[in-house]
Amino acid sequence: MGGKVTCTLGEVKQRADFIIYWGGNPAECHPRHFTKYTIMQKSKFLPRGRKDRTMVLVDIRETKSAKAADIFLQIRPGKDFELITILRALIKGHPVGDEQIAETGLSREAIEDLISRMKGAKFGCLFFGMGLSMTRGKHMNSAALLYLTAEMNAFTKFVAMPMRGHGNVTGADVIMRWQTGFPFGISFNRGYPRYNPGEFSTVDVLVRGDCDAAFIIGADPGATMPQPAIDHLARIPTIVLDPHVTHTSRLARVHITTAPQGIAAPGTAYRMDELPMPLKPALKSPYPTDEEVVRRINEAIAKKSFWLPDGNQPQIVATK
Amino acid sequence: MPIEFRLKRQPTVPLEAEVLTPDVVCSLTNTEIRALTVYHGKRQLPLGDFFDVEGEKCDDLILHGALNKVRWVGRAMSQGSITIHGDVGMHLGSYMKGGRIDVRGNASDWIGGEMKNGFIHIHGNAGGQVGAAYRGSMAGMKNGTIIIDGSAGLEVGMRMRRGTIILGGPARDFTGLQMKGGTIVLMAGAEIRTGAWMNRGTIISLKPLPLMPTFVFTCCQIPVFVNVYARHLQQFGIRLPFAEKEGTYHHYRGDAAVSHKGEILIWQPAQC
Amino acid sequence: MLCITGGKVYDPANGIDGAIKDLCIDDNGRFVASVSGGRTIDATGMIVFPGGVDVHTHVAGGAINFARAMTPEDHRRTQAFIRTKTRRSGLGGMAPTTFATGYLYAGMGWTTVNEAAVPVLSARHTHEELADIPIVDKTTLTLMANNEMMMDQLELGEFERAKQIVAWYLWAAKSYGIKAVSPGGVAAWKWGSDAKQLTSPIAGYNKLTPGDIVTNLARICDELGLPHPMHLHCNNLGAPGNISTTIDTLQHLEGRRAHIAHSQYHAYGGDGWGTMCSATSQLAEYFNTHPGITTDAGAVLFGDTVTITADGPWQHLLYKLTGRKWGNLDVENETGCGIVPYTYRPSNLVNAVQWACGLELLLLIRNPWQVFLSTDHPNGGCFWRYPEIIQLLMCADVRKECLKKLPDSIKGKIVLPEIDREYTLSEIAVAMSAGPARALGLHQKGNLGIGCDADVVIYEEDPDVLKMFGHPRYVIKAGEIVIEDGDIREAPHGKEYLVKPARDPAIDEFIRPLFEDQYTMSFENYPVELERLENPELRDCIPVPGT
Repeated sequence: MGGKVTCTLGEVKQRADFIIYWGGNPAECHPRHFTKYTIMQKSKFLPRGRKDRTMVLVDIRETKSAKAADIFLQIRPGKDFELITILRALIKGHPVGDEQIAETGLSREAIEDLISRMKGAKFGCLFFGMGLSMTRGKHMNSAALLYLTAEMNAFTKFVAMPMRGHGNVTGADVIMRWQTGFPFGISFNRGYPRYNPGEFSTVDVLVRGDCDAAFIIGADPGATMPQPAIDHLARIPTIVLDPHVTHTSRLARVHITTAPQGIAAPGTAYRMDELPMPLKPALKSPYPTDEEVVRRINEAIAKKSFWLPDGNQPQIVATK
Repeated sequence: MPIEFRLKRQPTVPLEAEVLTPDVVCSLTNTEIRALTVYHGKRQLPLGDFFDVEGEKCDDLILHGALNKVRWVGRAMSQGSITIHGDVGMHLGSYMKGGRIDVRGNASDWIGGEMKNGFIHIHGNAGGQVGAAYRGSMAGMKNGTIIIDGSAGLEVGMRMRRGTIILGGPARDFTGLQMKGGTIVLMAGAEIRTGAWMNRGTIISLKPLPLMPTFVFTCCQIPVFVNVYARHLQQFGIRLPFAEKEGTYHHYRGDAAVSHKGEILIWQPAQC
Repeated sequence: MLCITGGKVYDPANGIDGAIKDLCIDDNGRFVASVSGGRTIDATGMIVFPGGVDVHTHVAGGAINFARAMTPEDHRRTQAFIRTKTRRSGLGGMAPTTFATGYLYAGMGWTTVNEAAVPVLSARHTHEELADIPIVDKTTLTLMANNEMMMDQLELGEFERAKQIVAWYLWAAKSYGIKAVSPGGVAAWKWGSDAKQLTSPIAGYNKLTPGDIVTNLARICDELGLPHPMHLHCNNLGAPGNISTTIDTLQHLEGRRAHIAHSQYHAYGGDGWGTMCSATSQLAEYFNTHPGITTDAGAVLFGDTVTITADGPWQHLLYKLTGRKWGNLDVENETGCGIVPYTYRPSNLVNAVQWACGLELLLLIRNPWQVFLSTDHPNGGCFWRYPEIIQLLMCADVRKECLKKLPDSIKGKIVLPEIDREYTLSEIAVAMSAGPARALGLHQKGNLGIGCDADVVIYEEDPDVLKMFGHPRYVIKAGEIVIEDGDIREAPHGKEYLVKPARDPAIDEFIRPLFEDQYTMSFENYPVELERLENPELRDCIPVPGT
């Protein structure tokens, strides 16, 4: 019931003879992915490089990535979860009807060919993008692929990895986990971390109007979130740390310009496979780093009276 | 005499009020009840700042007001009753062990989350994750009954192990997701992916349902337990058809992605 | 400056067994002969121990962080640390958060921990996490036994070059020692298989066997002069009948120093789950006749935990057995890890045998300087449950009570019911502090002698062993009182120890092309910068001749 079976990108580079991209368009969104990690590289296990690898693209439309694929499987929009569930049944030998298969937009032959290739692979890797994780079904679509991957290990080596992007989102996730136990969707209002995506995740908090201030680093929700969330950000005191003028900075009460990470600010960024990469700045910036700004804000807050009255501890919301 | 709580000030951020449960207030005086701590965001405030309280020392609670931002009402309650006149926020009756909650209004997400027993009746609509497992937990509600007259959101009964959920209105996606047991009755059907990955348990729908491709039609029949179950539901004013002259149930088995031990029954009226 | 007076002192490193003795600590956090001024703790009627040293635990890095993300249900039910003016918030439980890890260890009197599994590729991450674990001092062990670059050299018979490669990796990781996990087995797992026999070639190799890796890596650790010998997780973990693999492995180590990790998991007889039984007598006998090697128990406690190990194939099996969650993370060229939440139940015959085996090893290995307290946190149980093990070791009657909960079918499968030995306080002080400190080569730890680090735990003497060890009255770290009457007083940053073994500078240019071929990051970015470590302290390497 849950979990994730994955690896670092170097494992894919060296071993993956079978690669599936599902609901993503790496040719345009992760343009170095093919050449650095997945299909183009030669290795001691795959000496002929591209010729030793098979790449399958599963998507609802024929993107530029389809050209790079050996097999392109165009499925009907909104049928990802159904198709993955069919695969989970078929790999276990449980029958599924023709009519049901046809509804996904694929033929039985195509699906059976896919399964025999998956089972025949020495090392299979599934990459999934926002076409899967951000469409109807959301986290359950991702969960479906992760289950399928785990179950494929009864037959051969198989791993999965989300195609994450947009700055250091993985790094935030990793650090939140070691400091709080949870990757995102955390509330500290009781003085300790609590987790409930849907309740505490940023977009839900904003849409419901559950917060009375916002502090935003390294993100531009004003460009990506639904209108009720943006309206709430404009309503409340919003503070933005960003090297650039963004949609969010325009509606914020305060915008502190900071040095861009990796270009003028050092640090660590976590790659999509959670490997830490050092950032070595090439330029100097007249602006402070995010870290420095946050540290100074913290120091200023430390001078104020503590948020809890002395000897007054919040109650823990225990589950039992 | 029941204790009456009237919301006198609308919280500006969520108000966590797990003290609003019979187990906490049943032995307290009026003054003690008003002094109980609630959490307005990160601020700890006395309950009396938000509610007028009438009565004391009783395990029947009546709440009035638009409590949309008030969370955790009836958390882990084991006795008595809560009646809410108005809407109520998340986690109503979660971890509940016994007693009864009536909401004459709408409720939000996670009603009866991981409840062990007891009875919840929402007269209006509900949010998602009704009777569900909290994220990462192996099992949702273990027993008890949840009746929602109106509609419900995503993942109703997710990973539930036993107990009953009855929805008068339509449900959204993933009803009975990864269900392990118990029964969900859908009087007005549901959107897609009902019963996805269910291991065991029963979903009965009185309206046609789009089914997952991994469910297999097995037969037309009125299983004996439906007869028994229908009589059991009569006490709640719910009518489940079971007479052969009225129609039959189409019986499906699934989810083949995990096992074939779950079942979905879809009512077919006789004239069709 | 601090004085501790009137306490009953247990300092086995200096042969002190319960003598009333005063301890003086200077402003540098070290023991001195005398001080004038400063606070005095009147420890009359109390018991004074050197601060605990955990020789084998998993508290920081990609694997435990993976486990944290996988177990939100445990975080919800566990002990929460609420933020105060001096303390960060956090969560305890099966996979505690970093700040909570420091508070929990210090809260029971442990002041040094050894993070026993660091892949070099994510060592930067591990060090960043360690910097967020307050109070305790730290060491780390780098995973090497499945490192393909080293294995390729051993396959070619190029021992010297393999040694240079290990030295290079160790400094790249800014680490303290070498951990070997299931030599060859993790590499084989990358093709979905395993390496169970010491003498069969590893998948993907023609000649190289797990046994070759064991022998050569132990020699490398000795020749590089690492303060801690090779820290070995033997092949075939957890499998019935694996005692033969374990003994075979130990025989490959003859004449070398070694520390055998969590030996409980490697001491089973039988030939299947139904016949699995304890083979601890055989393993303990080996230790009793080979005083040069050490081990930690890897004891199992009944209850919920999450298992984390670089032993990927075992975790896949455990996932199939439990049908619960499964996390797996293979790390290019170096290692991998698997994560499966698990519940040890007394009613489960296999779990019952495991529980008995851990205690049997602690009781049957006669010399406490050879066998140390550990649960292989979080694998056999969480580290914050160590006081429960101490109680089981010190109280034969408590063990007898626990034995009653085991299934009847356990009869004849374990030897625990026949063991009457009870640990003395002095023996506990060895097993939880002085012994592991010595094995780690941390001679200033686990020792209350002049010049040593003033890490001290003071207990109120109490016949209730669990209460006494679970709730120290004072914990002192580097001369600073960090815990007093159950409250966290201070949460200072600990040190991180590391080594820089001598290496031939030419090895860098040998590795570069191989690296660029096999890895996916740049050669220059790979080594962790020393500045990334919080309070690093370099330790000397003194080559150890083989015997």
